[in-house]
Amino acid sequence: MRLVRAALALGLLGLLSQPARASDDDARAWLERMSEALATRNYAGLFTHTTGRQSETMRIVHRVGRNGSTERLVSLDGSGREIVRTPSEVHVYLPDRGVVLVEPRTDEGSLSKALPVPGPQFDALYELRIGDGNKLLGRKVRVLDIRPRDAQRYGYRLWLDEETAMPLRTVVADGRGRPIELINFTQLDMPRRIDSKEIEPTVDAAGFRWVRGARPPPEPRPTVAAWRPTRLPPGFSLVASRTQVIPGVALPVQHLIFSDGFASISVFIEPGNPSGPAPSQATSVGSAHAFSTIVHGHVVTAVGEVPLETVRDVATSVVPVQIAQPPPHVPR
Amino acid sequence: MTDRIREQMSALLDGELPRDEMGLLVRRLERDEHLRRAFGNYVLAGEALRSPSGPLAGARFAARVSAAIDAGTVDATPVPVAQPARARWVRPTLATAVAASAAVVAVLLVKPAVQENAMVAGVALQQVQRAFALASLPIIAESSPTPAHSQRLAGYLMAHSQFASAIGRRNVWSSVLASDPGIARASYEFAETP
Repeated sequence: MRLVRAALALGLLGLLSQPARASDDDARAWLERMSEALATRNYAGLFTHTTGRQSETMRIVHRVGRNGSTERLVSLDGSGREIVRTPSEVHVYLPDRGVVLVEPRTDEGSLSKALPVPGPQFDALYELRIGDGNKLLGRKVRVLDIRPRDAQRYGYRLWLDEETAMPLRTVVADGRGRPIELINFTQLDMPRRIDSKEIEPTVDAAGFRWVRGARPPPEPRPTVAAWRPTRLPPGFSLVASRTQVIPGVALPVQHLIFSDGFASISVFIEPGNPSGPAPSQATSVGSAHAFSTIVHGHVVTAVGEVPLETVRDVATSVVPVQIAQPPPHVPR
Repeated sequence: MTDRIREQMSALLDGELPRDEMGLLVRRLERDEHLRRAFGNYVLAGEALRSPSGPLAGARFAARVSAAIDAGTVDATPVPVAQPARARWVRPTLATAVAASAAVVAVLLVKPAVQENAMVAGVALQQVQRAFALASLPIIAESSPTPAHSQRLAGYLMAHSQFASAIGRRNVWSSVLASDPGIARASYEFAETP
């Protein structure tokens, strides 16, 4: 078992370290092409999602319309669960439990503007390489490697369709090059038009319990108290913050979002609930990790597609801080 | 389940199913829970054969598995399969064949893309899956979430995913939909609690 894992790790490391055929500029261009393709193309396909010893088959439909993109992801392996992203909300259908979780959709545009584009800072954090690959799904592919320069974030290997730059296979690898998550398309179509019915859930949600999250109404005066981590991995900076209601969580929570331009970490500060159960410290879900701790009577949870050690460092360093407020305007 | 359905599912996994048939099969999968479970078993077998390591899944791997069999270290735990004991999934054009029995699943592996043939016989499917498994994530004592914590996590993951990259969001969503972690189940239980 160990030998096989070692071979897998060495294999990926070897692949990652192969000489780049093209320049770094080419690699950046492919990364940008991929991001654009994912955001602007219609596509529908099937993929397997493998993490640890678990593998599931999913169907994804992504449709771009005048009101923005909509998306539907459904598990084909038994549960029949679905996620549908409408222009205004994200719906998680859980037919096995008769529940729909609802989360308001965040404006994608504001985030993409907040994220740094690949440049000197990105280069300091990741090494980009582009190389040749074999065919996948009958299409010629290029292999894009995004290698982290430290162990505080993950690396990615992406097999991109040479014609459209759509990722046909994605491997997430840890700092030592060990693959930890795989998404592998077995079918992918990119039609010009996708019928709106393809985005509608197949689950009949009549009688389901709808559990909604929401943004609370604006506070009458600015919040003075805030929370900030004192330890962040190099390159991560605050790109957004908000107060929101999480589906199923009784009180509004503060949500801070940090990004290094590719990976992101969310920090949630939940008002303390002394009568509730103590949070579990660490949880792994695919390549995403979460770490919770209690700070000054608040439950602080860091979540991100980064190693467990990274979210632990961030969560345990969160402290309350005072945000400087502009002096009140006093008319003379 | 008919042989035709089995062949269609096999072809679907290999991306060889004609588009018109694919649409019909996918709709049927979305609506037929029994078929989805059977498909899930095919996926498990298929993934074991379609390791991301590609050529690594070759003769050396087979030799190691064979050595494990000879050493008596193969886990022969019965594998739950939807097919009856006599069921057989054979699709030569896929270059893979999986024969399932109640206790032992024999796997015949041929990878024509690398002109490499390997045969692993009498190996429990779990053993194959384990050998091909991706690196395990860190497991610590606290990693089994309580229902209340799972509820928090489900909500946090969905909120976080909206700020993740397109690739990251897809990974997070796929994990949330995965049937094993029980995150969504915990959400429901919490939601039902006043």
